[in-house]
Amino acid sequence: MAKEKVVILGGGGGGAILANLLPQDRFEVTVVDKSEYHVFLPGFLWVAFKGQPKEKFRRPIKSLLKPGVNFVHDEVVGVDLNERTVHLKGGGKLGYDYVVFATGAPLDFDAVPGHRELVERFGDFYSTLENAEKLHRTLASMREGRFVIAIADPIYKCPPGPHKGTFLSYELFKRLGVADKVKVVLAVPYPHVYSSKTIADVIEPELEARGIETHTFFTVDSIDLEKHKIYSLEGEELDFTVAAVVAPHTGPQYKVEPGNVKDDSGYIKIDKYTSQVVGFDDAYAIGDCTNAPTSKSGVTAHLQAEVVAKRLQGFDARYSGRTNCPLITDGKGLFVISDYDHPPIPVRLSGLKRFLEELFVATYWSAIKYPELWDPIFEAYFEASAPEVFLRYGGW
Amino acid sequence: MGEVIKVDAKGMACPGPISALTRAYRKAKNGDIIEIEATDPGFKPDVQAWVKRTGNELLELTEEGGVIRARIKVTAKRA
Ligand SMILES: Cc1cc2nc3c(=O)[nH]c(=O)nc-3n(C[C@H](O)[C@H](O)[C@H](O)COP(=O)(O)OP(=O)(O)OC[C@H]3O[C@@H](n4cnc5c(N)ncnc54)[C@H](O)[C@@H]3O)c2cc1C
Repeated sequence: MAKEKVVILGGGGGGAILANLLPQDRFEVTVVDKSEYHVFLPGFLWVAFKGQPKEKFRRPIKSLLKPGVNFVHDEVVGVDLNERTVHLKGGGKLGYDYVVFATGAPLDFDAVPGHRELVERFGDFYSTLENAEKLHRTLASMREGRFVIAIADPIYKCPPGPHKGTFLSYELFKRLGVADKVKVVLAVPYPHVYSSKTIADVIEPELEARGIETHTFFTVDSIDLEKHKIYSLEGEELDFTVAAVVAPHTGPQYKVEPGNVKDDSGYIKIDKYTSQVVGFDDAYAIGDCTNAPTSKSGVTAHLQAEVVAKRLQGFDARYSGRTNCPLITDGKGLFVISDYDHPPIPVRLSGLKRFLEELFVATYWSAIKYPELWDPIFEAYFEASAPEVFLRYGGW
Repeated sequence: MGEVIKVDAKGMACPGPISALTRAYRKAKNGDIIEIEATDPGFKPDVQAWVKRTGNELLELTEEGGVIRARIKVTAKRA
């Protein structure tokens, strides 16, 4: 039997794992990525706030793919689902039996006036390793004033990311001996300091204890770099000395035929359980590029990759909507855990869970390349920490 | 006359409905009316707090059969 051709668009968190999970005696697998490097996005936090070298958080995609997986270094500029064709910037075309969208959620720095100038001046911790490096230089030279972290759209990758940045920047200023002169400020679009009230109730006292200033119902509308002010959609303004604003995210920027597989925000419309693109049984989408009503997280991308790998082999696998974002502060921390049927619940970090987070970073590259070795461990962890288990036993 | 912007946030858990409202508000102009329906019980106090903070006008807030419906007149957008 001829091998079935699977073309995976994007070699990030979701795409690379899927490529490595597909049995090569049955599938001919090709990964297309416009970047030569796979970037571990949570690394932006370590680079921006701990000054770690950016090289630690990126690897050539080719080195992460199993031998036998084809890698095409080119940009996807169009996908025609009716013609089963992927169009590449270099002029090439790829045909497929199955296509999987995994191109993530790029950031739009033109949506908010003044944002591009802000990032060029200070850097940020959501877009690139280079910008994270720049933010570190900016923060390390701050002696006084206000460092503001704000958000331009309520839907963004890893909901606790800005909060992690807030705690980590406070720790950085403490290490530098300027914590009493630099005010850390966090502004969020939600009614409470975190999108879910349950989680907000846990982190609010932690923020307060550190003297971190918080603002709710603050969605960034425009930025004036000269006046050092951020204006919110809700009609308020904030002064800053240095600011990092999480940019609005977008779906795939390339054209997809038929156009109606993208939703109003440009994300690929999928069945939230099977990851199948609506209306097509030979197209899937995983990770940040989909409209699945769950937080955009690496865990989601990983679990959806497993579901798609199983479905392509004929098994009826489904994704529960499980997410798992760790939020670490000095000595303390918590995991934000949820799925489609349960709102986010906080799980306070014991030493063990803190250890798991460290392990997560240390084993990331290996888990991408050899997912089959790590999946049993992740599965055991996910089962033990499923929201219904916590709700039943009231947490660990 | 302003436009009527309808937002269906039924089935979205917190803060889904408020996020949907925020996104609709970004596109709205003064004079528009945003009609939003949600089933998350937290939406009622949240939308009241939102209206108070933003200074827009709450025309109607009802709850029927588990569906919370708010009609908001957009009056406070910066020109
Ligand atoms: C600061 C920060 C902290 C985070 N922390 C956590 C965390 O603690 N836990 C967690 O679970 N998640 C976390 N996340 C989220 C997680 O990193 C993402 O959800 C995950 O990377 C999504 O994987 P993906 O494969 O969908 O997209 P990505 O990893 O973004 O990969 C997309 C790939 O597609 C490629 N691409 C894009 N467009 C094209 C094109 N047109 N043609 C070809 N290639 C293209 C890109 O180059 C990229 O390699 C964090 C994110 C950030 C920014």
